[in-house]
Amino acid sequence: MRHPLPRAVHHGLAGCHTCGKVSPVVERVCPRCGSHLHLRKAHSISRTVALMLAAAALYIPANILPVMTVTELGDVDATTITQGMIRFWRTGAYPIALVIFTASIMIPLLKIVALSWLCLAASGKLHPSPSMLGRVYWFTELLGRWSMIDIFVVGILVALVQLGNYMTITPGPGALVFAGVVVLTMFAAMSFDPRLLWDRLEMLGLDPPSPPKSSDT
Amino acid sequence: MIKPFSRSKRALHPWPKPPGGPHYSVCHFCDTLHESEPVPEGTAARCKRCGALLYQNRPASLVRATAFSMTSLILMGVVHYFPFLIMDADGGFRATLNLTSAARALFEEGSPILAVGLALFTIIAPISMAAGLIYVCGPLMFGRVAPGAFFVAKWLNKTEPWNMVEVFLLGVLVSLLKLAKVAEVHFGAGFWAFGLLMFCMAAAIASIDRDELWDRLEVAKS
Repeated sequence: MRHPLPRAVHHGLAGCHTCGKVSPVVERVCPRCGSHLHLRKAHSISRTVALMLAAAALYIPANILPVMTVTELGDVDATTITQGMIRFWRTGAYPIALVIFTASIMIPLLKIVALSWLCLAASGKLHPSPSMLGRVYWFTELLGRWSMIDIFVVGILVALVQLGNYMTITPGPGALVFAGVVVLTMFAAMSFDPRLLWDRLEMLGLDPPSPPKSSDT
Repeated sequence: MIKPFSRSKRALHPWPKPPGGPHYSVCHFCDTLHESEPVPEGTAARCKRCGALLYQNRPASLVRATAFSMTSLILMGVVHYFPFLIMDADGGFRATLNLTSAARALFEEGSPILAVGLALFTIIAPISMAAGLIYVCGPLMFGRVAPGAFFVAKWLNKTEPWNMVEVFLLGVLVSLLKLAKVAEVHFGAGFWAFGLLMFCMAAAIASIDRDELWDRLEVAKS
């Protein structure tokens, strides 16, 4: 790298999170939209870790408790997320089984792993590799919402299947816990500040010299 | 006016910048400071360090954002009156699924928190995003700022990640396949309208860049 690219933090400048305007951080409040100005999100790592641990703790009951109860001709049958997926697999509906596996089991788990990895890298416990970190953060921000699909399915089934004595479906306690996992991981991803990773890289003198692949500017 | 699209002759139509300057742009990802220069329509400025998107110049941004948001709101009305799924079970049972029925059923079956969440993610967030975009972008087309537009624009950012229209659509699909073995289920008009709504919402949000929206707001206010 010929010249190190300037970073806003060295000029005491902060980009507003809400409106993007760049102002000196000493002003404390964005002159355009009135949002709080800060160089880095406050207590980013500890907040992310706390939310992520809460999500990880809820992940266990979310997979053990039934998400819905099917009462068919007096037979009560409570299914968890995993059981529901296995049933799809057994009946030969492999694509849906895969969708549920990815959205409900893989994504929350991967998100928790990815966030802990990001937190470790940002706090200097791990050596970060810049190309990976970008992709990991993108993944945590974008894919988390898709885990909500199972909750929506429960809601839809409860609404549709109310056939009196023949068959009814009621939501189980697992559904609420699982929704909690999804919302908590979303908040955890939002409270993580990716700029901390670059602060760490800069401190280690590992500033990536690779220019972006396609620059439109 | 619809301009023919040509890649070779991209017009440099910068949006108005607030007085003063130079204007800067900071990469939200790696904190690199850039001097923000106008880019040709339909292109984006990317971070020199990490390649993340800085800002985009979208063609006909205000008009498109307003138009797509209005279409979304109209479709929301259509969706409300037509069922998503129609289920015919043995014994002449017929059940239909509406936009609000999933949330209502969860509420009645003893999960009020889930019901509120579902309503927030699939009804309230998309409606408020579309209405907010119209409220902010509509008057801006005529160089005016609606009262409280800054507040609304601020909340648009915050609502965006909670708008889960596309996730709900996939949920409807999975439910259909799940119920296919117990009953005869088919799509209603609501499903297709909701599918269109998904594209209109995405188009409305993508039509205007955040920096452009705020620059225009600031210019119109001063």
